[in-house]
This record gives sequence, C-alpha cells and structure tokens, in this order.
Amino acid sequence: MKCQLVQEQIVSATYGELAEEQANELERHMAACPECAGEHEQLLSLKAIAEAHPVLEPDANLIARARLKLDEALDALPPRRWYDRLGQRIMNNFASVWAAPVAACLLLVVGAGAGSLSGYQFAQNRATHTAATQSAPMLSATVTPATTPTAEVGAPAEIANISSIVRQPNSHMVEVRYNQVVPRRIEGSLDDPAIRQLLMLASENSASARVRDDSVGLLAAECRAGHGCRAAGMRDALLMVLRYDKNAGVREKALHGLEPYVAEDMRVRDAVLEALMSDGDPGIRTAAINILEPVEADTSVRQVLHTVSNTDVNPYIRNVSRQVLNSMPEIQ
Amino acid sequence: MATDAAIYPSSLVRAPGYMAWPTARRIQSSQGMAETKATNGAKSAEERKQAREPEMELIREAQAGSRTAFDTLVRQYEQQVLRLALHLTGSEHDAEDIYQEAFLKAYRYLGNFRFECSFYTWIYRIVTNLCLDQLRRRKTRREDRAVVLDHSGGEIDVLASVSDNRSFSNPGKELDRKVLGERIQSALDKLTPRERMVFELKHYQGLRLRAIGEMLNTTEETAKNTLFRATKKLRTQLAGLR
Repeated sequence: MKCQLVQEQIVSATYGELAEEQANELERHMAACPECAGEHEQLLSLKAIAEAHPVLEPDANLIARARLKLDEALDALPPRRWYDRLGQRIMNNFASVWAAPVAACLLLVVGAGAGSLSGYQFAQNRATHTAATQSAPMLSATVTPATTPTAEVGAPAEIANISSIVRQPNSHMVEVRYNQVVPRRIEGSLDDPAIRQLLMLASENSASARVRDDSVGLLAAECRAGHGCRAAGMRDALLMVLRYDKNAGVREKALHGLEPYVAEDMRVRDAVLEALMSDGDPGIRTAAINILEPVEADTSVRQVLHTVSNTDVNPYIRNVSRQVLNSMPEIQ
Repeated sequence: MATDAAIYPSSLVRAPGYMAWPTARRIQSSQGMAETKATNGAKSAEERKQAREPEMELIREAQAGSRTAFDTLVRQYEQQVLRLALHLTGSEHDAEDIYQEAFLKAYRYLGNFRFECSFYTWIYRIVTNLCLDQLRRRKTRREDRAVVLDHSGGEIDVLASVSDNRSFSNPGKELDRKVLGERIQSALDKLTPRERMVFELKHYQGLRLRAIGEMLNTTEETAKNTLFRATKKLRTQLAGLR
C-alpha cells in the first residue's frame, strides 16, 4: 500500500467517507504500520483541536433580525407584472447556460430539417412539372376503375393510377394512395435547360409522332447550330431517335441533326453506318451515304459501303455506294 | 502550553491500536450499495421522492409567485444558512448580509430551479458561493478575525458560551482554550477560500463530500482532494500544539 494513498484514505475514513471494505482493510494495515497509525492519531487530534472553534447556533435575535430585513427587502421589490415575470423567465432561461448547447443543437436540427424539406418540396415540384406534359397522353391508357373514396377527387381523368389501398385495422378508415397528373405548361427559350430536357423526353417517349417530330426537329436544329449539343445530352437523344424511332420522318430529322458531327464523333459515325446498313427507309440510307462523304476514306466506312453496294435491296443505293467507293482512292 | 491531556479529555485521545471509524457515517461499498439498492432500492428512492414531494409542491407554489410559500421555504432553511455563515465569517453582521443576499438571490432565480437537485443543495450552493466571495474579499483585505463579533461590535467569548460536558472549569484552561481557538482560526484563515470552504462544510457542517462537490460545482473527487490538502495544511500549522 502506498503511503500517500493511505494517508488520503485515512482522511476519508476519519470523516466517514470510505467504503466499508476499504475501511476494514485500512484498519488491518494500520495495525501493522505504526507510521500510518501515527497519521491517524494526528488527524484525530486535529479534529479535536478544531472543536476549539465550535459551531454556534444563531441566536433567536439574530434570526429575527435577519428575517425582518429580508421581509422588508422583498416587500420593497416592485410588484411583478405579468410581462415582468415573463421577461424574468426568459432571462432566467438564458441564464441557464447549459441549456444553450441543447437549444443550439435543437435549432440546428430544426433548421436542417426545414431546409431539406423545402429543398425536397422544390425538387418534387420540378419533377412533377417536367413529368406533366408527357404524362397527359398516358392518362387514357392507365386509368383503372377506382373504388369510390370519400376523400375529394376531381374528374377521373385527372387521376393517373391508384397505387395502393390500405384498410386500417378494426375501423372504417381506409387509406388510398393514388397518383395525380397535373397538366402544366412552360414557356422558354431553346437555351433553357428545362426546355431542352423536356424536348429530349418528348423525343424518347411521346406517344404522338407529331410531338416527337417537333421535338426532334428542334433538337436537330439546335445541334446543327452547334448550341452546346454534346453536353446537354441532345446528341445522345438524337442517336437514340435515329436507332429506335419508328417514324422515318423523325429518324431523318435526327440524322439531319447529327450530320455536322459525323467526322469528329465516333459514335455518330457508327450510328450512321448502322442506319446505312439496317434502316428500313431507302431515303434515310441514301441520306446516310451523303452524310458519310467527309469520312469516305475511313476503312470501316469503306467496308460498309462495300457491303451495301453488294447487298442492298435498292439498286439505286447499290449504285450510289459503288460510285462513292470508286471516286475515293484507297488509303495507302 | 499545557499538556494535551488538559486541553481535551482523554476520551478523545485514541490509544494506539484502537481504531474507531465514525460509525454513524459509515457508507457501504459500492457493491454493497448496489445490493441494498436491488432489494429495497426502488422503495427507498420512491420513499425519498415522496418525502420530498411536499417541499416540491411548496417550491412550485413559490415559483408561481406565492410569497407565503417562499417565506415558508426561508423559515425551513434560515437556521442552517445562518449557522454556516456565522461560523465561517465569525461576524453576526456579515452573517446577516450573507443571509440577505442568499435569500434574495433565491427569490430572484427561483425560476431557474429545475428540481434536478434538492432545494437544500441549491440554496447551499448559493450560500457557499457568497461565502467564497466573502472569504476572497477578506483575503485581499487581510483582516484579522481572531475573535467573534456580535452585531454591536462587541466581542463574544466564544468558548464561554459553549455548553460542554467536558468539565473545563479551570480558568487557566479557559485561557488556553481561547488561545487555542484563536490559533485554530488563524490556521483556518491561512487556507485558500476553497480549502476553507470544504473543510468547513465537511468538518463543521458534516456534509457528504458528494454534496459538497455539488455545491461547489465540482466533482466529489476534487472535493476529496481539497479536503486532504486542507487537513494537511492545518496539521502543519497546528503541529506545535500536539
């Protein structure tokens, strides 16, 4: 047992602050260690000496005087109006400093929550807004007969679909989740990314060929003019249209839009080659040959032209491709 | 100096080998405590809470603005407050001032009391802080407080007013006692305010170290260390008296 620790323990024990087990252990130690026993002695005598400065009970006069003075002081305080008390309460609450970190954290949480909520709402609005114009034609295809809910509902045409119906247990309450379509319109310039996005969406999955035609036409015009075609993904949209659109006129428009990039962009070139080989419309195949003129010297292009000149169903096209092959000498 | 046997009776002097820890305040080891708590802990906590309930009601009333409720609270604690202040400052006048300031503060900040500790602890916290301020001010002023003054400034013979069963009837001894008393007080004055405070609360007022820690806004461990330093210092000061 280290004696510094023991000394401290003796002090604790003498004042009754040591645990029983430890106190017993201490007793045993002191029985063996005269030095520590001496410490204990000294402490006890200190305690005894300290009694020479005894604690006095305050006499009745003192108490009475003090109480009187206090009463006077309290009476002298101005009466607390309700706003005084409220103000006092607020000040007291500010005075309790250790509530401050909690309040600060709470404020942070609330602020973050409000911020993200409003951000979420805003994003949602944007999403429904962009989805609006194209979901309008989908309406007729997906409306399912709905159970008659008690909540307010507009004309059935506005409801796109019902996604779930849940009955609350043991009650008459039913929860219905449904999606509503909100017809919207937006006006803006072709430089507006929102407009562009809508156009691209329209080009992909609008049910009406006319809408696709219009949108692709616009996108193609943009791309020909070189208005940030690549970055905005418009070129990709046109590539998709060229590959998959069912309407020849639309495909042609897309091809027209991609024309300026056939030399620099491999993907465009591949897509055009693909169109040349497999597009059902002869007009498009012909247009493809013309577009590929700047890259006639390219090996893969020549290969395709070779195939086309032999296998194409359309004689004119076979002719044209042969001509192109002959006009350009082989690359050494 | 008279022999120690004359200063205080032999019953207080322990013969070597006789160890008597203060049984009244013996605490259980934490394990023992846990065991007791498990068996009747819930009950005693409940009992304690119930015992405090009337006071809590009183406090709530006072917080709501009832002056009579506050006065009742004052009456419950004023004696303890005065006792502490009187012993610490040695002056009735100073004790009154502390009493006044403490209870006015309590009245003002009653709204802050959130029932996380007992009202007793809360009041004592206010009083101890005021006393600490007093002690610090005194230290800078270096007043000599070897005697106790009453409200009119006259000296009180402290030891004469102590009713004792120690049969100090010898006038020579009385003088010795007075000298001893002064020696104690000057030794106490040499402690730092905090050390003095902790010693006062522990030795003279008999509070638990944990409660002392709460009142001084510190931990039990720190209070214990402060007590240890205080006793060490005092022993050094009073070494010659043994």
